Amino acid sequence: MKICQVEGTLVATARIPGLLNRRLLIVKERGSSGKQVAVDPVGCKPGDWVIAVGSSAARDAAGSKDYPSDLTIVGIIDYWDDPVGRAGAMAHAD
Amino acid sequence: MQISRVVCDLVTTKRVFALAAKSLRVVEDHKGNLDVVVDPVGAKPGDYVITIGYSAARTAAGNPNITTDLTIGGIIDHWNEEMWHA
Repeated sequence: MKICQVEGTLVATARIPGLLNRRLLIVKERGSSGKQVAVDPVGCKPGDWVIAVGSSAARDAAGSKDYPSDLTIVGIIDYWDDPVGRAGAMAHAD
Repeated sequence: MQISRVVCDLVTTKRVFALAAKSLRVVEDHKGNLDVVVDPVGAKPGDYVITIGYSAARTAAGNPNITTDLTIGGIIDHWNEEMWHA
């Protein structure tokens, strides 16, 4: 699983039917600058630190075995003691 | 899933049976790396899209027997160059 920070929501109206109307979030993996898109079955806010699963576990985590996701958020981190992460977590608490 | 931009169509008449008649596109990521994707949505060159990888790409193509490792999942409504590189 990867530790990521939520940047915001992503709107994609024209999508494949398999994606249903699930929320898609832009997330940034800790320690990397590249943005990724994750399915959010939990309900996260921008700024939240979350854990996300990849590969085929992402399909199960999104609710069913045939859900086409390769990155799914599985939990919001309550407290994250990391020098790099603390700045983000504090900013969110304010 | 990754955010990519559609570059152009790709035509391959001679292909493996398991790729069926799926339309293919060339997409680039924010660094300019090119990839070929199956496109079940109908994206046009210049569109910003979400690409689904790994085994989920096969489900996303509409049939788990399709042999692909990258499939377009949707066209992003609002996206631009600055947001891409930020």
